[in-house]
Amino acid sequence: MVSPELIAECRRGDRRAFEELVRLTHRRVYSLAYRLVRDRSEAEDVAQEAYLRMFRGLGAFREEARFETWMYRVVANCAMSALRRRGRFGEIVTDEVADRPVPETPEHRAVQRDELTRALDSLSPGQRVVVVLKDVYGLSCQEIGEELDIEEGAVKVRLHRARKRLVELLTDHDERAGEL
Amino acid sequence: MTSAPANCETVAELLPEYAEGGLHPAGPVEVHLASCVRCQTELGRYRDLLGFLNDLCEIEVEVPEGYLEDVLRTARVGVLRARIPSIQDVREVPVRVVSAIRTHGAGVRYALATIGGAAAGATALAIVWWSIGRRAVTGTAA
Repeated sequence: MVSPELIAECRRGDRRAFEELVRLTHRRVYSLAYRLVRDRSEAEDVAQEAYLRMFRGLGAFREEARFETWMYRVVANCAMSALRRRGRFGEIVTDEVADRPVPETPEHRAVQRDELTRALDSLSPGQRVVVVLKDVYGLSCQEIGEELDIEEGAVKVRLHRARKRLVELLTDHDERAGEL
Repeated sequence: MTSAPANCETVAELLPEYAEGGLHPAGPVEVHLASCVRCQTELGRYRDLLGFLNDLCEIEVEVPEGYLEDVLRTARVGVLRARIPSIQDVREVPVRVVSAIRTHGAGVRYALATIGGAAAGATALAIVWWSIGRRAVTGTAA
């Protein structure tokens, strides 16, 4: 959790405060970036861009808002830019799967988590972004719509389809596992 | 007006939002859920899904080697950039002065007049000193 005092010091241009902010948040930023773009190298680029935007935009950050929510929105915006750039160059976007499973810690409920990660991978980028931002990181549909530049209604439709698809995939897996 | 009873197909479409608590428990849906094991099971799956997704927030993905150092370097660049006014900021200064005058009216005009007057006075003094100094030099030279 980032304290309001640390944010205030960052806004005053305190270099050490910025570095402390990075140390506190770099894993979360990378985790969200990776979950959205599903490519380790691209996730690093997204994280770098997000931090630059955060430093430039700290002056406009409203202190009554939760810093983490604002941070997630910045990361999401950068990730969407990266996904759009990827799509513009005709690379496969919808069916891309991570080369290897990226370890996530801690290890409890590992099997369910692995299955969930695989199921998230199989969603289209549009659905995955919405369900990750809403159900993992707690952004509202309105906030997601603002970052993705789509109507709130469209966010809800994507969210509905994404959740249905995830339940289908996880149910299929459980049924297949039961048959073994 | 009474609502028509809900069936599995109707309820199934509502479950992704119902599981979150986003929909108000409607009478027909609850009545159906109370008696339909299949839909109860399906609702349980959605609630489990939302629980798993929520837990994912606390689980961090392993970061690549060197990532923190790269981001700290970015942070230092970010701090420097934040201290240097952008071209846009510099261009906005005259606009902000005019805006301040319009907003605060007499007070700002008085302040600007005072500063301007002081600057003019200092300039005049400097000119007088310079000309006295010149006369002294030319007078000595003659």
